Amino acid sequence: MNLLINLKSLVVLDPLALFFLIVISLVSLPSLIYSIGYFKNKFTLTKFLSTQLVTLAFIVSMLLLVIVGNALAFLIVWELMTLLSYLLVLTDSEKEAAVGAASIYIIMTHIGTAFLTAAFFLIFRHSGSFDLAAMAAACQTMSPLLRNWLFIFFLIGFGTKAGIVPLHIWLPYAHPQAPSHISALMSGVMIKTALYGLIRFVFLVLGISSLWWGITVLTLAIISCLVGVIYALMEHDLKKLLAYHSVENIGIILLGLGLSMVFTRLNLNNLAALAMIAGLYHLINHAAFKGLLFLCAGSVQKGSGTLDMEKLGGLIKKMPWTAAFFLVGAMGISALPPLNGFVSEWLTLQAFFSGALKVPGMLALGFAVGIAALALTSGLAAACFVKAFGITFLALPRSQNAEQAKESPASMLLGMFLLALSVVGLGLLAPTIFNLLATVTAPICQASLQTSNIFSLGLQPNSTISPLFIAILLGSGFLAAIAAYGLLQGKTRLGRTWDCGYYQIGSRNEYTATAFSKPFRISFSLFLLPFRKTEKVKDSFYHVKSFVYETYTTKIFKKYLYDAGLGLLLHSAKRFKRVQAGSIHLYISYILATLVLLILLVKIL
Amino acid sequence: MTWLLLFAILLITAETALVTRFPALLRNFRYQSLCLALLTLLAAYREGSIELYIIAGLLFSLKVLLIPHLFDVLIKRIGSSDHLGLFLNAQVSLLIVIVLGLISWYFASSVVAAPAYLQQLTLSAACFVMLTGIFLMVSRIKALAQVIGLLLTENGIFLAATVIPGGMPFFVEIALFFDILVSVMILGLFIYRINAIFTHIDVSKLSGLRG
Repeated sequence: MNLLINLKSLVVLDPLALFFLIVISLVSLPSLIYSIGYFKNKFTLTKFLSTQLVTLAFIVSMLLLVIVGNALAFLIVWELMTLLSYLLVLTDSEKEAAVGAASIYIIMTHIGTAFLTAAFFLIFRHSGSFDLAAMAAACQTMSPLLRNWLFIFFLIGFGTKAGIVPLHIWLPYAHPQAPSHISALMSGVMIKTALYGLIRFVFLVLGISSLWWGITVLTLAIISCLVGVIYALMEHDLKKLLAYHSVENIGIILLGLGLSMVFTRLNLNNLAALAMIAGLYHLINHAAFKGLLFLCAGSVQKGSGTLDMEKLGGLIKKMPWTAAFFLVGAMGISALPPLNGFVSEWLTLQAFFSGALKVPGMLALGFAVGIAALALTSGLAAACFVKAFGITFLALPRSQNAEQAKESPASMLLGMFLLALSVVGLGLLAPTIFNLLATVTAPICQASLQTSNIFSLGLQPNSTISPLFIAILLGSGFLAAIAAYGLLQGKTRLGRTWDCGYYQIGSRNEYTATAFSKPFRISFSLFLLPFRKTEKVKDSFYHVKSFVYETYTTKIFKKYLYDAGLGLLLHSAKRFKRVQAGSIHLYISYILATLVLLILLVKIL
Repeated sequence: MTWLLLFAILLITAETALVTRFPALLRNFRYQSLCLALLTLLAAYREGSIELYIIAGLLFSLKVLLIPHLFDVLIKRIGSSDHLGLFLNAQVSLLIVIVLGLISWYFASSVVAAPAYLQQLTLSAACFVMLTGIFLMVSRIKALAQVIGLLLTENGIFLAATVIPGGMPFFVEIALFFDILVSVMILGLFIYRINAIFTHIDVSKLSGLRG
């Protein structure tokens, strides 16, 4: 015990660590550039500098986290990261909502950390060292039961941070409250460090010893995908919507990782590598487009003063650049070719299909469910971003705020531009990135997958995709359409929009976000449990003076899991309060009773 | 002689259960402390140890003279009725104290092996004094009784320490005496303040701070 930390093994710089370093840097740099403009005229210089300092420390802590090679150091940096991000959520500490959100965040992540600590110390009891290599060696000789428990601890511990359903509850609170580039960092990068932990500790330290581990992860991933996207569809707050999409995308990444676990257990090394590549690919993709979207949301908030979609609209004319960047991000997250989301989801589906041919029957059936869930998720995500983009940026402004919106300063636009560029680049350069990721996964899955063609991504058996070619095709089609339009139409006529016979057309005629999501509310009513409140004020029987319509959905995880648990806790606390009657005599008599009891028990004990 | 003193301690302790007024309780404490001091003096003479002489002297001057004197002053200052206020009347208290004595004896006999009768008796007396002290704190209403109950308990702990081979280290012993002196002063001050603010020292009415 004299020196728990062997300095030589304190740093691990394997391909996996390098990959995460790249992911973190990819989002951090644009976020920092963006923050200069974002904080302008908002904070005093002292507050600006201190916030920037904490942000930098936060980024450094994330960078450190992925390269430490010692579990104890990992735990320390992990806590450091949590505390710094807690401070950053509290940036607007005058707002009560921010304080509440930060509290939920810190409580949830501390529950997770408790599980991680327990897991690390359980392994330490066998290994006698916190060194990762020694821990990995010790895990090979453990009883299967203990390894199962360790897996569950790791899953809960890292799952809380990653936001796996039903541990996702802090995300929609914490992300919207933080400043936008912090949300971008937290949602784009920080929750990914939990996935890093999962890969590092479950794949490399613990070693996958049971099939059900992978199946559990897959099941949770499917649930996370669907729950995340369905909740996102119901949200009208732009940042909350994005936060729920993080839950969904973590689910998609976990589909890849879960598949990889299943394949590893079944000794299908090539497929395991493919699935993990898909997962990691989606991980870096999500970092890029979710970072971008959060930055755009911040730009909208700064320009118009609100994030409520029902009060926005028509921003594409006031904030053309933000709108363009948002569109790129939305297309990326909706998995539209040739952008990056498409490539990674295609890879995940490929892993599912190729796996279904090789795994036993029941499992193949389960894979079918996974495929269907992923397809449904992508569809719903696309619908959700049609809503987010359409309601926010198109049509007429719905409020004074939206009407007076202004485009953001250049530093913010530059931040968004860099991320938009990476969204496009990650899509078009798919084969190159695939090869790089193959190098990352090769030591983890003991399989090397390389594709030689740099223009198209070819997989066994016989499936190929070339985002570059799709882009050229789409681009030339687009140009052709414009040319044809110019040739055939010639001149432009201006006319009034047909308004269905109304006297004047205005923003009150527009489709609202609530109306757009109504079909989904009805289709998923079994899960969302929607209810509504209407209030009519009538002048006479024939004339309605005013009509109020409100609709809500029930957050079932919060209501039936967390609120119920909290209620139980408070109830039992109230019962225990009876013991505390406030009488000093009673308190002393507790001591007397304990003493007498102990004396009487002295022989038995 | 040791036996005689131990029996005296037992008797005095049992008698505290019957006491209903402060001066009497204080007298009991004084006598008990005196017995304890004599016991220590006896041990010091037998072992020829200077440290034990010093402890006996300290015991005498602190617990027999100074602390009871402080309480005398306090009682006079407060000037309210000198009844302890009994939750349980004297007879029931005595019965309970006897039961506590039985429990103490059971404890001592199960901890110390059979042939060491003196140690057995000392330990059981010590345990008895402790339990009675706590019992007094529970069953008497006024704050002064709580403080004296605490001091009785402390006497019990001192007695128990003599059973341990070699006793407590000298410095611990000395430090304990100063602890007691300071705590008595603070507690006395508290009681005085409580009396000044609430015009009574009835602990059963001090329940406004409950959560």
